[in-house]
Amino acid sequence: MRNLLRFIVQYHFLILFLVIETFSMFLLFTANPYQKVRFYSFSHSVSGRMSTRVENIKDYLSLRGENRMLAEENARLYNRLGSSFSENAPDSVYIGDSVKPENYFYITAKVVNNTVNKQFNYITLDKGTLSGVTPEMAVIGSEGIIGVVKSVSENYSSVLSVLNRDFMVSARIKSNGYYGPLSWNGDDTEFATLVDIPHHVKVTAGDTIITSGFGGVFPEGHPIGVIADFRLKGGNYYVIKVKLSTDFRKLNYVQVIRNFAKNETDSLDNAASR
Amino acid sequence: MIKSLIKYLFLFVILLLAQLLVFNNIELSGYINPYIYVLFILLLPFDVPRVVLMLSAFLLGLSIDLFMGTPGVHSSATVLMAFARPAVLTIFSPREGYQTGTQPRMITFGLEWFIKYTVLLVLIHHFTLFYLEVFTLQHFFSTFLRAISSSVLTSVILIFSQYFIFRK
Repeated sequence: MRNLLRFIVQYHFLILFLVIETFSMFLLFTANPYQKVRFYSFSHSVSGRMSTRVENIKDYLSLRGENRMLAEENARLYNRLGSSFSENAPDSVYIGDSVKPENYFYITAKVVNNTVNKQFNYITLDKGTLSGVTPEMAVIGSEGIIGVVKSVSENYSSVLSVLNRDFMVSARIKSNGYYGPLSWNGDDTEFATLVDIPHHVKVTAGDTIITSGFGGVFPEGHPIGVIADFRLKGGNYYVIKVKLSTDFRKLNYVQVIRNFAKNETDSLDNAASR
Repeated sequence: MIKSLIKYLFLFVILLLAQLLVFNNIELSGYINPYIYVLFILLLPFDVPRVVLMLSAFLLGLSIDLFMGTPGVHSSATVLMAFARPAVLTIFSPREGYQTGTQPRMITFGLEWFIKYTVLLVLIHHFTLFYLEVFTLQHFFSTFLRAISSSVLTSVILIFSQYFIFRK
């Protein structure tokens, strides 16, 4: 017993180090989703408030670029207005949208914190449950997809960025309709990888990649990027390098998409797989 | 005693805020991220009890982790660095040893000593940090490059900062 005590006194520094380091490692390895979400929604509401202050200052510095982007987006939206199309075309009839149920609802949010330099990057937005944001909602920017909402507090939400090794989305080559999973390999912040495209498909550099709409998170047809490079892997499937159309280094305003049909399609999927 | 305690508490908070609000926003080409909060561990007095050294390192790393959403990554790296500090101090000790009452400052022991002391501890911290964060040896060389380049930037910032604070 005395020897044990003497041992502890003599090596207390080493023992303390081992205890604390083991505890840190324990923190690192326990990926318990429930506690994680609880914990993050608390820390986000604190750090989110702090980041808002900093972001407010940064806002002024990027006004010029933002204005240009808003103007471009306005132009794009004008092009889609009914008044932009001729109504005299003999073979087309305009059907008012009010007869169709609303499918997607867009919530504008501001990025208050964003990282691109880690392997698992997250974005914090200034909208939370009070604005109707819930986990699993899609987030897009004016140029392309941005991520999926992961956890939410009252006024802030945390978004799993495309630049996160846990992120995956079903993507489609616009020109021929073939689709496969797209993810980020943690390397270059400008490129993502699309796999599982069979070898007989004609793939061309410069082709547009869009969301396929499968999985129910992202609506169909939102841009992701363009094909930068591709090669055959094992002779059967293409591995395609996609240049992301969003510049994750200068995100500012984004849209969170609420899918009204998601619960219904999800429960259908669950019932089918049971 | 109380005075120096308050001084170090103040330093702790300032470094935490500087890291979270300023230096986390610096990343050059996705490779270089300085983590300057380790200055706190570097500047603790020679005679700080090792238990205090260890616990303050853990608290510092944990606070950074809380705000960056990476539980365990920064605290592991910072605790390892604090564990290495006494050994590093012994390696670089001047011939007559550290005199009582002195503190690990550039002004006392000179630029060369401070560079050696800072660079070695920052390297230990950054390598642990970057490899724990990636948690795979798959991208060994790109992680290696990120750790090295970030260590250089952090060390330069820390050494440069010594010309502005703790000059007396």
